[in-house]
Amino acid sequence: MKTVRLLAGNDWRLMARSRVAQLALLMLLALSIVAAVTAVAHRDDSNALRARFQQQADRAFDGQPARHPHRMVHYGHFVFRPLPALAGFDPGVDGFTGNTIFLEGHRQNSANFGDVRQSSLLARFGQLTPAFVLQALAPLVLIFVGFGLIANERERGTLRLLRVHGRSAAEVLGGKLLALGGIAAVLLTPALAALIWLVASARAEPLAAGLLALGYIGYLALWVLGIVIVSALVRSARGALIALLGLWTLTTILVPRIGPDIALRLEPQLTRLETDIAIQRDLQRLGDSHNPDDPHFAAFKARILAQYGVSRVEDLPLNYRGLVALEGERLTASLFDRYATAQFAQQRRQGTIATRLGLLSPAVAIRSLSMALAGTDLEGHRRFLQQAEAYRYGIVQRLNRLQAETVTYVDDGNRNRDPEAARRVRIDPRHWQEVPDFTYRPASLAERLAAAAPGAGILLVWLGLAAAAAVAAIRRLEETV
Amino acid sequence: MISESSSPAVIALSGLTLRRGTRTVLADLTLQVAAGEIYALLGGNGAGKSTTLSVLLGFLRPDGGTVTVAGTDPVTAPDAARRQIAFLPESVALYDQLSAYENIAYFMALTGHEPTRGAMDGALDAAGLQAEARTRRVGGYSKGMRQKVAIAMAVLRDVPVLLLDEPTSGLDPRATADFNALLGRLKARGTAILMVTHDLLGAADCADRIGFLAEGRIVDEVRPADGIDVLALHHRYGEAAAA
Repeated sequence: MKTVRLLAGNDWRLMARSRVAQLALLMLLALSIVAAVTAVAHRDDSNALRARFQQQADRAFDGQPARHPHRMVHYGHFVFRPLPALAGFDPGVDGFTGNTIFLEGHRQNSANFGDVRQSSLLARFGQLTPAFVLQALAPLVLIFVGFGLIANERERGTLRLLRVHGRSAAEVLGGKLLALGGIAAVLLTPALAALIWLVASARAEPLAAGLLALGYIGYLALWVLGIVIVSALVRSARGALIALLGLWTLTTILVPRIGPDIALRLEPQLTRLETDIAIQRDLQRLGDSHNPDDPHFAAFKARILAQYGVSRVEDLPLNYRGLVALEGERLTASLFDRYATAQFAQQRRQGTIATRLGLLSPAVAIRSLSMALAGTDLEGHRRFLQQAEAYRYGIVQRLNRLQAETVTYVDDGNRNRDPEAARRVRIDPRHWQEVPDFTYRPASLAERLAAAAPGAGILLVWLGLAAAAAVAAIRRLEETV
Repeated sequence: MISESSSPAVIALSGLTLRRGTRTVLADLTLQVAAGEIYALLGGNGAGKSTTLSVLLGFLRPDGGTVTVAGTDPVTAPDAARRQIAFLPESVALYDQLSAYENIAYFMALTGHEPTRGAMDGALDAAGLQAEARTRRVGGYSKGMRQKVAIAMAVLRDVPVLLLDEPTSGLDPRATADFNALLGRLKARGTAILMVTHDLLGAADCADRIGFLAEGRIVDEVRPADGIDVLALHHRYGEAAAA
């Protein structure tokens, strides 16, 4: 081990005297620090803003005057998705999916106001976050610093000299791994500091933060192994640099970019417009509550009249319009749910394909692991959509029930003709105030760990392969000096 | 032709054969170098000189025969054998960003030695490197200066075997004379020295024995101390040696 430290120490000394290495390291360190500080601040600001908007929306809803319950159904409500603590490290899909939904009757809206859609075009190139720096930029700096670690020694003849001085190929490889690993550790430091800060200040779970750190340590260790192995196997330093840049482009840029396209091609999905048209078509088939000849609602009416033992809706103890609203919402909501469930299932299948592409690219694997542990993956967005829909359905049906129970059928029918009826259908505002506020329940740690497992598994497979390649590189070094 | 020294051999090659594809590079090569002896191996390009050094350093595995370096078999224990050897390549590889002191300290540390500045100065004095150059980065050194750093390392290592690959190529006459004097001191210390060279005159100046290598085997061997006709040897082998 002493020899390995000695070899690594010499490489650090040489790097310290190389302007290229100094510049690359300083630039990435500065980027890492800026990314850590801005990402944590952005997460805190966004969360504070969303909490403030949520409070305003809650106050606006609660503060509505006496109204007809169905007016409140259309008044609607906004809900916001709070950001998990570790979004300060990896905001994941949050910037793209939107973070607020307008909830209203008869419709299931999608989320709006993703950062990318709100910001300038620059944001579309990717937010500068610790996760992005470690996933994409750190490997690039490691390549520039490490491509010649062994190849340069071979070219200038010092590799032979090291061997002549009794150092084995394994020791040489170990020294190079330690040297580049030390650089990787320096690059990791600002990101790890950000994680510690998020645990201390934003109450991120220490286990999730620790595993996230471990994941990135494994990812950078993989790059360190890969760079040193390529440097050992390729004859010239120039060749090693070209090979490594090709590897970086393929695994960090190309596969992550074409992965979603491949997933989409294998699991094609309806566009938003196609989905809307399909839903409208199905809604028309469901039935029209305003058409007395509509078979579904005719049967519904007959069932209600029979249930209460009356022959006219005017004789029902409940407001029939309210009952129709309840039934109509039940039908449309179940239709929305069917589409949403199918879409989520398809997205999951696409996600599975994309994660499997991690077998081709460790960058895909670490991204999947990172977003899952941070709670900022697509699954977290789906949870928000599902919980928001459940909340919407709960509010709308609560208001429809109020219409059925507290507004009479006669007043409801006369409200546009009779001012007194119009006054009576406006119910007490305490009813809105009693509606519970929306509380987003994020995925539990166990759920996030399960979601991170495939990415972690793929990284481990890569590390195993790299270790085997390192053994081959040692043999090659023994033979080719 | 069997080549033997009267003292026990520190370097011993016996019936060494090495083939590369269909070509025989070393053919039944037998050679011994004793402690305190300088052996010069002369031959043209492709005669097998550098291959012989690579086998002794454990970088090439022979197809037949035996080889030992200070009692260690470099085929089965190359790292252990290399610890017994100081090697001076034709083109000395050093770290250009480091000074002579730093290069020496680093390579010595790799062999488990931590020489003092005084010891390094002693070795560099012996090698003839000017004092004012020693703290400068070796990137600006001439070939001769780099060679002196490598020689200083060999002196400091104090190992039983010194292998030299074209040691005087590129050195001026004065530096060559200094180098030969240094070899004499190492010889007096008991070091077994094997040098491969094209330079018959230089070899005749410092070697105890000169072996002529052709097609992987020693075809003739002379002892300069016995009185040799360098001109005749040059005519006989010089064409091949200078090839």
